[in-house]
Amino acid sequence: MAKEIGKDRLGDFFAEGSRVRSRREWRGLKDTLYDYSRWLGIMFTLAKFVAKPRNVKAMFRYRWMANYLAVPMMVDRHTQGLRGEYLRICHIEQDLIIEDVAKLLDSLFRGDRRIGNDEEFSKKVVLVDENEMTAVMMGFPTLKGLSRETPSTYISVLLNQRAACHYIDVAQQFGLAGDVCPMPEAEAGVSIDDDAPVLGACAIQCNTTCDGSMLGNGVISMRLELKDGIPCFQLAAPLRHREDDVQEYAAQEIRNAIAFIEDKTGEKWDWNYYFECAKRVNIATKNRLNWLEMNKTDYPQVFGSNLALYTETNYMAICGKVPAFVKADEKITALAEQAYKAKKRAAKEYRHRAIVWGVQSHFYMDFLAWLLNCWGIVPLTDMLSMVSTRELVEEDTPENREQAYYDMAWLTENMIMRNRTHGGYKVLLDELWEFCEEFNADMVILWEHMSCKALDGMHGQFEAKAREHGIHLVWVSHDLFDPRVVSRQGVREQINNYMRTVMREEPLDPTLEVLPDEESW
Amino acid sequence: MSKLPLKLLMAGGAFFAVTFTVYFFNLDMKLTSKIEPLLIKHYDTMPRNTYL
Amino acid sequence: MKDLKHLLYFENLLQNAGNELIDQAKSDGGVCVAYVCENTPEPLLNLGNAFSIRLRAPRTNSMEMGTYYMTSFLCEYSRALLERAIEGGYNFSDCIIAPDGCSMMNRCVENMELLKTMSADNDKFFYEHMEIPMKADDNGLNLYVLQCKNHILTPLHDTFGIDVSDQAIRKAVAEHNRMCRLIRAIGEFRKGSEPAITGYEYAVITLATYAAPQALIMDRLEETLEELKKRKPDKTKYRARVVVVGSEVDDAEFIKLVEESGAYVCADRFCFGSFPGRDLIELTDDEDALTQICRQYMYRGQCPRMMNMEKMLGRRQYVNDLAREYNADGIIYEQVKFCDPWAYERMIGTHVLNEQFGYPVLSVDRPYNIDTSAGQMRTRVQAFVESIEIKKIQGGAD
Repeated sequence: MAKEIGKDRLGDFFAEGSRVRSRREWRGLKDTLYDYSRWLGIMFTLAKFVAKPRNVKAMFRYRWMANYLAVPMMVDRHTQGLRGEYLRICHIEQDLIIEDVAKLLDSLFRGDRRIGNDEEFSKKVVLVDENEMTAVMMGFPTLKGLSRETPSTYISVLLNQRAACHYIDVAQQFGLAGDVCPMPEAEAGVSIDDDAPVLGACAIQCNTTCDGSMLGNGVISMRLELKDGIPCFQLAAPLRHREDDVQEYAAQEIRNAIAFIEDKTGEKWDWNYYFECAKRVNIATKNRLNWLEMNKTDYPQVFGSNLALYTETNYMAICGKVPAFVKADEKITALAEQAYKAKKRAAKEYRHRAIVWGVQSHFYMDFLAWLLNCWGIVPLTDMLSMVSTRELVEEDTPENREQAYYDMAWLTENMIMRNRTHGGYKVLLDELWEFCEEFNADMVILWEHMSCKALDGMHGQFEAKAREHGIHLVWVSHDLFDPRVVSRQGVREQINNYMRTVMREEPLDPTLEVLPDEESW
Repeated sequence: MSKLPLKLLMAGGAFFAVTFTVYFFNLDMKLTSKIEPLLIKHYDTMPRNTYL
Repeated sequence: MKDLKHLLYFENLLQNAGNELIDQAKSDGGVCVAYVCENTPEPLLNLGNAFSIRLRAPRTNSMEMGTYYMTSFLCEYSRALLERAIEGGYNFSDCIIAPDGCSMMNRCVENMELLKTMSADNDKFFYEHMEIPMKADDNGLNLYVLQCKNHILTPLHDTFGIDVSDQAIRKAVAEHNRMCRLIRAIGEFRKGSEPAITGYEYAVITLATYAAPQALIMDRLEETLEELKKRKPDKTKYRARVVVVGSEVDDAEFIKLVEESGAYVCADRFCFGSFPGRDLIELTDDEDALTQICRQYMYRGQCPRMMNMEKMLGRRQYVNDLAREYNADGIIYEQVKFCDPWAYERMIGTHVLNEQFGYPVLSVDRPYNIDTSAGQMRTRVQAFVESIEIKKIQGGAD
């Protein structure tokens, strides 16, 4: 039990064969009371959620809802070892995300034919993919863009490492090969297993992130359009997004998607609302760039999953539509600047500065916290946070309205992760080394998501470039959503082996090297 | 009237004691981990329209 | 049946990635345009003195170098191509044009580019990566036309001085159609109950049109057609007729294996096959040839990466239509191991063709080189043939 950073033996909280930890951390009186107050807040959010009978009904209808029992533990996993400003930054982000997800779930179940069956509400719903920039919704203030996949698979796996296994198995039982990316595979499995809410005036599916997403959507649309009668528009975002000669195609796709939504919902695009959202996107971009600038110094402040998870949510799912995220950004920035001025650090020792590249093992997002606490490896930034920095036009003029289509197209093409895994080898391979230089990194932690063919296909080139640049390249293989292929300990072992055999170092916290979290959420 | 603040204080204290105990010893997660298998059993026995 | 006169010749052409006809065409001043995907409109690669060669890696066993660069998680076709490229197997080519159609082919060609496998000693060699539409609609057509201009026509013209005018394109289409007519006519012999050509022979002949300069095999194709008109078919030894559907099959040995297991391959709906790859391109005079070619490629294409609803539903309807036309008893859905697009299409197609259209379906994935798992595949196909026979005996009842 320790107030100071890095004094706790964090591994001692785990018990063999247990789902949960033995207790929460003692972080000193002030930080513990703060953490406790945020826990109370989460409990209150959850209580409000289950106070509605339809949400309880949904709990019993949808298998993936069981994972939401683990919400407080997800927060615990991401706050492990944190104190002071870092703890507060994490809570600002996580608590806001939890609130936002609770609203998403509530909306889904409200319109779901099987649960709330609010038909009038459902007519105002546009279903969007999880792996899709929601830029096309930025001009529809009266419509709700809701994602079914986000709560059923994406967030579920954040909460419970095994959340997707059942759905992966369902898809494979139906004949899907086991080597495809488990994310669209699980999403397809949810659809096949009749475990997706049914609502909405229409759906916008997108080919992002990748081939798998695009094809998985085909499985989903079979049921969605042909059986449930919800018309689907497939939004095609060009792969070669850095090329000028695809931008008109991309912009026209946006125009077509907007026209489709207008046609199916009867609502009209609102430019005022769009430009308000665009302003918020620009604010988020500026803040993110500010944090990244700090991370280039000796005193990085917003990094690890504090950066990764929040960027994914704010950039992609929110995309300027929720003002609360602007306020959160301001608070995070204030805390970061405060800690930066005081030259604070989030671990007792920073041994290595790392760029985390590739697609993270989603069932082990708190791995970034583990890197820091166990080995003193600071994950300065990650591939999914190195997204578009382009400023969108904000002023409502005829020229800007035309430019706005290209801006929305740009955002859609530059969806998280996809902006690097597609678009040519420069964005995936070459730019990594530029970031290493900018961030003064001596290490790259390269997530090798084994089913991500776009990334795996550059394996040899990554090695060659790492040798050329003299950067330690640590491969960490995993299968994204399926811990049965590589477990969390399997992930840790890859780092442990490298740090001991190549770097010849001892861990900062030896209790974290081997954790009995096989059964854990 | 003067007893009310005392009662409130005691209630608040009790609330804090109970909730902080639940929080610190992770009793909330320990409880929900016991509920999960019951839910899984329920889902496994539910009829479903499984098709493409 | 009497052996086809040119079959051995065509088989020999397919033994290696390069062949004597490529050498001949090059020595005659031809420009060899390598490509890797059916979404690259073939006539545009055969303008003027350019000739197209779709890359294959026959008789691949070890893929160690390809696997090192691309890992064992990527499809074997893409790794085999890279392996062959590293070995110098494609040094006959003068350029390569690849669509960013699937991630694996994209990475394959990017690795070739980074490793300079074909360009180390050839300054003029270029690698072009083009975007291709993901939906068949007007927007997709505009993109396709622009991409073909920017990534096929312009580089061919600027680098090799090839005439890319509308007239030149129409001429290339006429030659392409001549070849397609021959392939289609030869394919018609598969329809009868006692076909005059085996699926294997047909696969060899069709593959040759992808693997060799088309102009140099035209005479042999014409002779083969004449030969078939007179050929007396054997009494059929096959116990079932099947359509093979799926990802690339650039090795006729796979078709041979299926036929040796008792199933006659009556139609070939796979990459490197004749459906739709050998469909005629109909041109009119009221629009430029390029746009018409792109439109037809876009609408007829059966690649699973086309994601609009009409295309998705259309692909299964297409298979059904083929199966009816060629009197198929069953469908074999196949994919090369680790092919993402066909993993999904195979799953859906298997269910739809069986549950909706009533066909027995065999769903398999296979290694790139079928020899490495011939026994397993034979067993699967034999069992499938037996199940079709049983179904016939039972009068079609499930």
